[in-house]
Amino acid sequence: MATFYVNGRSVTAEKNQSLLRFLRDELHLTSVKDGCSEGGCGACTVIIDGETCRACVPKTDNLEGRHILTVEGLSDWEKKLYTYAYGEAGAVQCGFCIPGMVLCAKALLDKVDDPTEEQIRYAIRNNYCRCTGYVKIIKAIELAAKLKKAGVIPEPSETDWKLGSSVHRLDVDEKVLGYGKYPDDWYMPHMTYGSAVRSQYPRARVLGIDTSKAKALPGVVAVITAENIPGENKVGHIKHDQYSLIPVGGLTHWLGDPIALVVAEDQEILEKAKKLVKVTYEPLPAVHGPEEARQPDAPRVFDEEADNVQAYKHVSRGDATGAIDKSKYVISKHFETPWTEHAFLEPECAVAYWDEDGYVRVLSTDQSSHTTLHECKLLLGSEKVRVQNQLVGGGFGGKEDMTVQHHAALITYLTGRAVKVKLSRAESLLIHPKRHPFWMDFTIGCDENGIIQGVKASVYSDTGAFASLGGPVLERACTHASGPYNYQNFEIEGTAYYTNNPPAGAFRGFGVTQTCFAIESLLNEMAEKIGISPWEIRYRNAIRPGQELPNGQIVGAETGLVETLEAIRPYYDAAVAAGKPVGLACAMKNSGVGVGLPDWGRCKLIVEEDAKVHIYAGASCIGQGLGTVLVQMVVTNTPLGRDDIVYERSNTWIAPDSGDSSGSRQTLVTGEACRRACEKLTEALNTRTLKELNGEVFYGEYLAKTDKLGADVPHPVSHVAYGYATQMCVLDKVTGKIESMVAVHDVGKAVNPLSCEGQIEGGVVMSMGYALREQYPIDENCKPIDKFGKLGLFRAHEIPEIKAIVVDKPGLDVACGAIGIGEITSIPTAPAIAEAYYQLDGKRRTSLPLADTPYERRG
Amino acid sequence: MEKRFPHQVALVACNDGCRNISCSYGCIGCGMCVSICPFDAISFNPNGAAEVDETKCQGCSACVIECPRGIIHLHEAGSPMVVKCSNKDPGKLARAACTVSCIGCGICEKACPSGAAKVVDNLSAIDEGLCLSCGMCAVKCPRHAIYDLRGVLTPRS
Repeated sequence: MATFYVNGRSVTAEKNQSLLRFLRDELHLTSVKDGCSEGGCGACTVIIDGETCRACVPKTDNLEGRHILTVEGLSDWEKKLYTYAYGEAGAVQCGFCIPGMVLCAKALLDKVDDPTEEQIRYAIRNNYCRCTGYVKIIKAIELAAKLKKAGVIPEPSETDWKLGSSVHRLDVDEKVLGYGKYPDDWYMPHMTYGSAVRSQYPRARVLGIDTSKAKALPGVVAVITAENIPGENKVGHIKHDQYSLIPVGGLTHWLGDPIALVVAEDQEILEKAKKLVKVTYEPLPAVHGPEEARQPDAPRVFDEEADNVQAYKHVSRGDATGAIDKSKYVISKHFETPWTEHAFLEPECAVAYWDEDGYVRVLSTDQSSHTTLHECKLLLGSEKVRVQNQLVGGGFGGKEDMTVQHHAALITYLTGRAVKVKLSRAESLLIHPKRHPFWMDFTIGCDENGIIQGVKASVYSDTGAFASLGGPVLERACTHASGPYNYQNFEIEGTAYYTNNPPAGAFRGFGVTQTCFAIESLLNEMAEKIGISPWEIRYRNAIRPGQELPNGQIVGAETGLVETLEAIRPYYDAAVAAGKPVGLACAMKNSGVGVGLPDWGRCKLIVEEDAKVHIYAGASCIGQGLGTVLVQMVVTNTPLGRDDIVYERSNTWIAPDSGDSSGSRQTLVTGEACRRACEKLTEALNTRTLKELNGEVFYGEYLAKTDKLGADVPHPVSHVAYGYATQMCVLDKVTGKIESMVAVHDVGKAVNPLSCEGQIEGGVVMSMGYALREQYPIDENCKPIDKFGKLGLFRAHEIPEIKAIVVDKPGLDVACGAIGIGEITSIPTAPAIAEAYYQLDGKRRTSLPLADTPYERRG
Repeated sequence: MEKRFPHQVALVACNDGCRNISCSYGCIGCGMCVSICPFDAISFNPNGAAEVDETKCQGCSACVIECPRGIIHLHEAGSPMVVKCSNKDPGKLARAACTVSCIGCGICEKACPSGAAKVVDNLSAIDEGLCLSCGMCAVKCPRHAIYDLRGVLTPRS
């Protein structure tokens, strides 16, 4: 027992526990986020006697007499100061790391009035952020220091909320002050805790499950196994191949396969009970990688499948082989890219309970509440489910699949009790699908002027233990492997193999991060062979409006690759002239699902009793700022002002299904649906006031219509729009470290330029990790071995100067010309960095993370 | 003198828990570092071990060079988690030599979330380039050989 002070109030912790558990579970100070509970992430940072400290580290018994501060305990002036500074700088995205970052800033500014940028970087360097790349957080702290000294908080610099205005995001207050709720921040009355007992072996037959000892433990509410599932056991994003609970006789596919769900009154009993569930197995040989998977006598990952091929894609236009044969210059190379962990700051969590209307209500953190609804309904065999998105602490593709949502729904459905199901960070690292590792062979042929004649490639990937989005990722890897260039002889074949490794699925870039590394690296080498600069070879081949991409699509007037090249030119020329090692790469990325799949955006604008328009779209804001985008859409396309509009988080019973937050699609697809609803609302406002429109619903929907892959038409429209980018890396010759990154992105119309920059900076830093350091090693038991803090994510004191340049190019006739930016920010980074290192030391590097750089991991 | 940030400061890797027991590695209280320090930054702590005042230390390395036991090294001032022990004997001997010695048990290595804490030659060592300053090692160390120099997670000395 110990007595100490929290936010100035004397409190007594009876039980010795981590400060984090005490602050959250007993005091419900939920600004203190639980990102890993192992000291790695920094999301639970508090201030103890003036010094920052992670709340998960100290035990309460050791805190006698200490003074602890959380953001709830900041003075009103400080709350205003940090809310303003973080909003004005655009420093808030998913928000999960932000309360910790705010306290780092406070601890610094309490000691130093006028901190240098270096001091700010060091003050936050132990706290990870995966969204922002730290750039704008550093700016926010600089601004806070300035305003603190001045003693006055000004008005936001932009306030008109129209498209193109860098207004403060609408979720800044709740994220800076920590009162916004992620699922883990809910504490329902009489809430139970649920967790899955998972397979001990990556591949084994489950022979028996004995739950009797666990059930007998006092405080255990239920132990649920496959036979208790009322509906369909298997879930899965596209293919239903993932057991919700492995039945007796079933085959396990990876170490994350759940076998029994334990439900208990508290978290300690839960952990004890999980150990009492006895599962007997017949361990079987596992498949460790694609090389093993494709052997004819390889063990099969799925009983139901004839082999381990999850997906095969073949894309061919023109005559690639013939064109390469006739080319003056030909280069062939093999490339490899690694597994990557999303490392979003918020681990997966779902809370479920019976709502007042007799539905199982699931509070989720996911990339589509409607996808969660669909899967939960199948699992329960019941329509009585409602899903509501909470704040989502980052996704990047890693929260598209079922991890905890369906388990929470099942527990509430069977026990009648409210439940929280949360993954520990170690479970999170194992369970959600990762970025696919790829093995790629590419051949490129060019004429004497560097004009691409043809490209031929063969790639394969490890898609792990279940399909997830392995097929579409492979497809996108193949369709974008040509690069954003104007040539017509292109052929690629790709195969994704099941293995007993953790699953791979969606990850920012969706397969294109991998093939872009190959094609852009080859293009850099080709430029050298021909004797022109990497910039010149791209400028000569760049796709221009009206030209035909290798996939056959004729691109529209909005196509802005050339503009990105022209915008980067002064920086490129200056770096070259200064004799600095510099690398360059381009990319394109679809906005919208494309390839003939039904891609609907839907939005309802409902005028409610408060005489305000409430925006309901079944589309998740996963940190990118969708709510702000939609409000800016409404302000631009109606006579209404910001104060007339309320953004509602996605749910499944009012908000219409607007698809997953995936494929850089929400700004364009849901944005256009919203704009269409605005047309109807504006017409109604011509004759009536908002008060008179109470209860009226204005509905907009938009189908992003595209042609199927390989459609038999002369110029298939694979995607409604593409974003284009050129990125550049400059190295410091002496240290060998990155001096600066310049990233120029064509976004059609930047809805909120500041948010756009934030996406770019975050994407660039994420892919600096991918290029230079991040790994996700898996051992011989198919187990990922590293903790969160060891993944190699970049930290605030390590990032170079990052110059984000947004190019607006009109021409797209939907969504006011806005093209999604989410993924492309991460795509050309790695090949640009690889080329810069080649310029430094003359070594061509063909696998990631790049070897022989100062960033290489030690130990 | 103005300090550049980040900067390095000296650390005496011993907290002198041996008192009257003999340790062949630890601080012997000779006072060489105390007398040589040009910034008056080193004094004896209540345990009798030399201790550096990081606010005064300029990282000049004079003490590092002069310490007859070679147990003073520079570390980054921004990384407050430090191992205050230099005993490289196997666990049993190290345990017998001192009440707050590192016995190389490896608990810090297991607790460390970032791979910064490693036991090398029976002695815990923290790679400050990897360290996240969380202090998990300091609170878990059964020998109290790892300190939080800010005095938040452990006593200062």
